[in-house]
Amino acid sequence: MASLKKFFFIKARDFVHAGEASIHIQSLLKSMHWDPVLIRRVAICSYEGEMNVVIHGGDGVLNLSIENDRLIIEIIDDGPGIQDISLAMQPGYSTASDEAREMGFGAGMGLPNMKKNADDIQIESEPGIRTRASMTFLLESPKETP
Amino acid sequence: MRPEYTTCYVRFHEERCTGCAECLKVCPTRAIRIRNRTSIRLVDLCIGCGACIRACAAGAISAATRPPQQIGNGHVAIALVSPVLYAQFPTAMPKDVLLGLRHMGFRHTIDMSIFLEMFQFAAAEFIRRNRETGEAPWPLISPVCPAVVRLIAFQFPALLAHVLPVLRPVALMAREVKERIIPSYEAQGRQVALYYLNPCPTMEQERFGPDGTPLRHPEISIGINDLYPDLNQRIDTILTEVPPFSETHFEYETCATANAALVAMSGGEIASMRIEKSMAVHGLRDTVAYLQKIEMGLFQEVEYFEFRTCREGCLGGVLSAVDKYMARSNVQRMLHLHGLGRRVPGNTILRLYDKGRFKPDKSPLTLTRFFGDRKPALSLEQMVRIEKILDTVAGWGCGACGAPDCPTFAEDVVRGEAELGDCQWLHPSRPCMKATPDEPGRSSPESGL
Repeated sequence: MASLKKFFFIKARDFVHAGEASIHIQSLLKSMHWDPVLIRRVAICSYEGEMNVVIHGGDGVLNLSIENDRLIIEIIDDGPGIQDISLAMQPGYSTASDEAREMGFGAGMGLPNMKKNADDIQIESEPGIRTRASMTFLLESPKETP
Repeated sequence: MRPEYTTCYVRFHEERCTGCAECLKVCPTRAIRIRNRTSIRLVDLCIGCGACIRACAAGAISAATRPPQQIGNGHVAIALVSPVLYAQFPTAMPKDVLLGLRHMGFRHTIDMSIFLEMFQFAAAEFIRRNRETGEAPWPLISPVCPAVVRLIAFQFPALLAHVLPVLRPVALMAREVKERIIPSYEAQGRQVALYYLNPCPTMEQERFGPDGTPLRHPEISIGINDLYPDLNQRIDTILTEVPPFSETHFEYETCATANAALVAMSGGEIASMRIEKSMAVHGLRDTVAYLQKIEMGLFQEVEYFEFRTCREGCLGGVLSAVDKYMARSNVQRMLHLHGLGRRVPGNTILRLYDKGRFKPDKSPLTLTRFFGDRKPALSLEQMVRIEKILDTVAGWGCGACGAPDCPTFAEDVVRGEAELGDCQWLHPSRPCMKATPDEPGRSSPESGL
């Protein structure tokens, strides 16, 4: 079975180039004529994922894998990690730096947005070592609007 | 092979093409290819932004507008004036410009200010109500620039729901003419022609009715640059001599404030709208970048986006006669002299709004019929092949193959519309460079893919 795999580096605190991987993924899906609403959900999630790496430090990598019936985005970074995942999942909870907040980021909606838009999300974190978030999107998704 | 696309917005003059590849790179829909070094082709849909016209130094691309001929000869000519026209003249005031047009043969000259005022009021009203009803998603996007709306239909169909559902000022203007001016001439059995005086190559397709038959009253687009030399001379005469008497019948046939001229500048549309949080973005590159950001879920706290694909707004239109910075300075001077003013009472507009007079007759979703119909979808296998080709080619995006960039070239190869050998700079480490020394890069390295 064919599958398309690509990876993108994400640099910590590089606010200028943040979002480029998401834009690239968007254009790939558009040339495959995926449903615009699904593309938008993927874009929102990969962007939030990218921003998490950019905001919270630690360089990372985004692995994209497109299969016939699904798309998987895995984001791994070696940042500070998440102390309490269930707390981080709560809307509005944020540990972003003042720098990030002054630029309009870090409103504490990243993980909740990802959870809302992905069909499945797995987050593992070893504080101080690494964090891994994996999101799955089904081509025939039961989810509707972003 | 895909059928050749035609466009109603631009014309190609192949004999002038030097093959420099500048047009390829600026096209937002990546629709242009150069085959056999100097043969320009359109392989996808054109949204009429005019970027290629601006980029072509050889003059091989022009707008599909026509120079004005025999205005008012055998018909009643009505000019629908884009406010950008006012910004072309450093000493003349809007009323002088409109008078100059009447001297050129236009029976009626319709100024946009009143319609802009109504549009801005209606837009602000929709936004105010939307805060409560949540009918449309934030941020709303201005429908004023037609190239932006087409770009959204083509590249960001998920954002069509964000386009503000209020009739564009030019549509309000045309409706007024059709309802109030044309019938009286029709009663006399006279032919009427509507002339849109435009800074951008965007109106040509509306010459025909929805079924493709010519309109009873033809609608003609004229580029401001085509009109400029003649009009400039007439305005000089008006300013130096005593202007001959010229009567107007409708309040919107003349213009006394700088409101309209202000809207020709980027940020001018939102400047006189009462909206709490709005943003103005201009230029094709930034427009695309911001639309991408909106698609990724950003800016949901912004209520209204004014997008213009031309730098500095409409006065940077590719068919304007004077440079955008000079035009801007003219507008600023006009603002000092005339200031802003309102001509229509809010209650009147509100009443029209509640009657549904600002509702667009068609949803922007209908645009996807024209602009959403694009190349066939690529399969996953084809996507994998594209990635492999991208590993093979240099990735410098030189444009020598005739495609705008390497990913597009790879896509063309996979679609069977280009050959891998068209790439002039295949990666040196690849065997294809060594395969046939007398003709480097011309052998097919496809076998490995």
